Amino acid sequence: MARVGVFVCFCGANIGDFVDVPAVVEEAKKIKEVKYAIDYKYVCSDPGQQMIRDAIVQQRLTSVVVAACSPRMHEKTFRKALSDAGMNPYLLEVANIREHSSWVHQKNKKAATGKSSDLIRMAVAKSIANEQLHEISVPVTKRALVIGGGIAGIQAALDIADARIPVVLVEKSPSIGGKMAQLDETFPTLDCSQCILTPKMVDVASHPFIELLPYSEVIELDGYVGNYKAKIKRKASYVNFDTCTGCGACWLKCPVKVPNEFNMGIDKRKAIYSPFPQAVPNKPVIDAEHCTMLIKGKCGICAKVCEKGSIDYTMQDEIVEREIGAVVVATGYDLWDPKPYEEYGVGRFKDIINSLEFERMVSANGPTGGVPVRPSDGKVPKNVVFIQCVGSRDEAKGIEYCSKICCMYTAKHTLLLHHKVQDSHAYVFYMDIRAAGKGYEEFVKRAQVETGATYLRGRASKIYKKGDKLMVQGEDAQIGQVVEVEADLVVLATAIYPYKDNPDLARLLGISYDKYGFLSEAHPKLRPVETAKAGIFLAGCTQAPKDIPDSVAQASATAAKVCGLFAGDTMKKDPMIAHVNNEFCTGCQNCVNVCPYQAIVTEEIPLGYGFKELRTVAKINEGVCQGCGSCVAICRSMAIDLAGFTDMQIINEIVAI
Amino acid sequence: MTKLTYFPGCSAHGTSEEFDSTLKLVMKSLDVEMEELPDWNCCGATSAHVMTENFALALPLRNLVLAERLPNKTMGIACASCYSRMKSTKVEMDSHPELAKKINSTIVEEGEYHGDVDVKSMLQFFYEDIGTDAIAEKVTYPLKGLKIACYYGCLLTRPKNVTQFDSPEYPMSMDRIMEALGATPTAFDFKTECCGASFSISDTEIVLSLSGTILEMAKESGAHAIVVACPLCQSNLDMRQPDIEKRAGKKYEIPILYITQLMALAFGYPMKDLMPAKHIIPIEPALAHIGEEIETPEEKKKPKKAVTAESEVE
Repeated sequence: MARVGVFVCFCGANIGDFVDVPAVVEEAKKIKEVKYAIDYKYVCSDPGQQMIRDAIVQQRLTSVVVAACSPRMHEKTFRKALSDAGMNPYLLEVANIREHSSWVHQKNKKAATGKSSDLIRMAVAKSIANEQLHEISVPVTKRALVIGGGIAGIQAALDIADARIPVVLVEKSPSIGGKMAQLDETFPTLDCSQCILTPKMVDVASHPFIELLPYSEVIELDGYVGNYKAKIKRKASYVNFDTCTGCGACWLKCPVKVPNEFNMGIDKRKAIYSPFPQAVPNKPVIDAEHCTMLIKGKCGICAKVCEKGSIDYTMQDEIVEREIGAVVVATGYDLWDPKPYEEYGVGRFKDIINSLEFERMVSANGPTGGVPVRPSDGKVPKNVVFIQCVGSRDEAKGIEYCSKICCMYTAKHTLLLHHKVQDSHAYVFYMDIRAAGKGYEEFVKRAQVETGATYLRGRASKIYKKGDKLMVQGEDAQIGQVVEVEADLVVLATAIYPYKDNPDLARLLGISYDKYGFLSEAHPKLRPVETAKAGIFLAGCTQAPKDIPDSVAQASATAAKVCGLFAGDTMKKDPMIAHVNNEFCTGCQNCVNVCPYQAIVTEEIPLGYGFKELRTVAKINEGVCQGCGSCVAICRSMAIDLAGFTDMQIINEIVAI
Repeated sequence: MTKLTYFPGCSAHGTSEEFDSTLKLVMKSLDVEMEELPDWNCCGATSAHVMTENFALALPLRNLVLAERLPNKTMGIACASCYSRMKSTKVEMDSHPELAKKINSTIVEEGEYHGDVDVKSMLQFFYEDIGTDAIAEKVTYPLKGLKIACYYGCLLTRPKNVTQFDSPEYPMSMDRIMEALGATPTAFDFKTECCGASFSISDTEIVLSLSGTILEMAKESGAHAIVVACPLCQSNLDMRQPDIEKRAGKKYEIPILYITQLMALAFGYPMKDLMPAKHIIPIEPALAHIGEEIETPEEKKKPKKAVTAESEVE
């Protein structure tokens, strides 16, 4: 005979204010199988859990029903309470009377109380048919894949590798370094970006536990947590990295000039190039789209000047496979295209640039030797107008979110401008100064005091050309008047936008992304580095706009998650998965087609009854099955059942109401 | 032959007679048969929507309903303000059927609104329905040498979700039509700034200041004349120009022409058909530039390097 214990939670006022909890307990006591029912202010608290443990022992319960919040919230907590009391944790059922009742029926206490009782009746009925289940052990491949070699990817790779776990770091461009390599100095300490980044880049290249795959892209990911298989395309570099010494003779002599992506197109690079002097690996690649040898079969100069004979025009893209257990996605960001701001004359006026272009100009290794210049005439600007929130916080033309770093880097830019061009003056159009971070507010103040920059609170409304100057109009909301500033150069703090290929990558990995293309975390507060797919983690701006310290912190967090995942030789997995009853399976394979996880294969088993022939039945891969139940629903012979949600349990629930 | 319902608005029959008459000439040349909307009424302009919203919708709606009685599929509107009111009402009615029913019930004797007549400004009609190629074909007297600042004003392309035409900030349709006529549009950054509109009457100082900037910038762009497609813009920039000049202490002497006047001229109509006497600032000196050579700006002379082609070879 079943002996069910029911524990009804007030959840403080969350349930208590809208559901008559004592009445619900009285109602539960009327159920035949319920031997014990009680309410408590917070069942999830330590005394609450103790109550459950005590009742299991004292009342000799056979299953437990907790009527509280969503099982997504505390199912694990209560399951643990059961096992601590020596009971199989899967004999627990949670009746969600908060999200499903009290929160949604706040205006009707009577109905909410009735519904809560119904939910408990269902849970009790289901729990009677609960079976003892045991966690499944799955083997783990202890190797991590990191996608993206910016600062987040670098940090994640180093932290994981330092735990002596092998890492495959895949970077799409010829060098790791990402956006941080393009920066001059970093807020709020004005450390030289390259100086703090390049040692880490070198560490990656020399780390015995890191396999660096530059100029490569992940094109396929199969499998499941702990047992993924990744296909990686290694784009043809046309240079044999094993023999190349990175001497640079090839790119010095190459006659083809192409806008230099690393310098935001301000100057030119060659068709055979290494993106920047500190590149890792410091080996060139040939840009097949522009190399005349590869396009027309004419030239071949680089092969002629290469003393090592490292140039190979016949090289092909290569697909490599790696078995891995976890993935860290760190694809970073793109700058938002400010084209919709037609009132600023973006695209019409040469002397409007974005912040990353400014950053390249003021960089010592930049295309203009560290001095900002006007793209129109090459003159050094005196009056520079910085416009913040271009795209950010603009529902009409841009995007709703705040890009988080623009207030800070603009303040930094005013300082850099002041250092490089001493008789210059900076004007900053801003909406609010968002300087939340250690030393950030102090840094903005320092920049304002040191540079004497004029901060104008308001969005610039228009830019027009007068002579060779740009006139920037906007409202200074603090004096309530339209102001007009004569500028030699205008710098737009364009928004952080997700990396353009994120949606494709998300589909490839089987994870979700938001309406902009940022990859989605599993929980915005409590699981900020995990995705909804087990074993795939997020670091850096791929998830949301972040500055360097936040990106690094998140990257280290992913490393901790990966190390945790790989802590044992096997991984524990929820036993609530599908099982096939071979007696009933007709081998129709409908389940194979509907399974979204490719978890079902077929196998041949003897026909039995003395026959020698074989017959086909479905077979479920325990490691891959996520327990979604699609196969159960499609199976016409009712041969598949889902542990924890058996047909009997569901029928019991329906009968109970 | 294309057919078009014509909504002139009050100004075409009064202050912008030269717009109305040249529009008719141009349409004749372009093989467009215009039929004036019978029994049309005031669009409500700026006055109705400060009274009540329903009133501001009912007035244009009556015109929209009347337009559905004619067989034509498009109604072309001469005045930018009438266009704005009519198009806004159409968008509002089409996206809120319940509201449409409610407003329709106040003008029940005119008939039921179905929303099957499109509303366009004349500029939009020329650009979308006729096209710059067809316009260029009709040109017999190219306006070569004439430098024009194209001024769209605030309503012809705004708000974007209502007009769904050209760019709200830096439109180019009129510039393209001017090029089709042989004229040279200038780089003019003030093409959608406000001219001051009806403040001309209640607080003239506002117009003197706003229209003054437009004239200043048009002059700065090197334009001989400003071309407009809105009667109120024309009136503010032309009629107030002497006061603006007095206030600024300098001479602009820049005539304000309707797009249809220049089209008519390019299509071969004589000067007198442009009704020059209707202008405060004489139009003849500007039009005398037609036939002059225009210096190509220096950057255009040099062969462009690495701008069109992505890469270059030394």
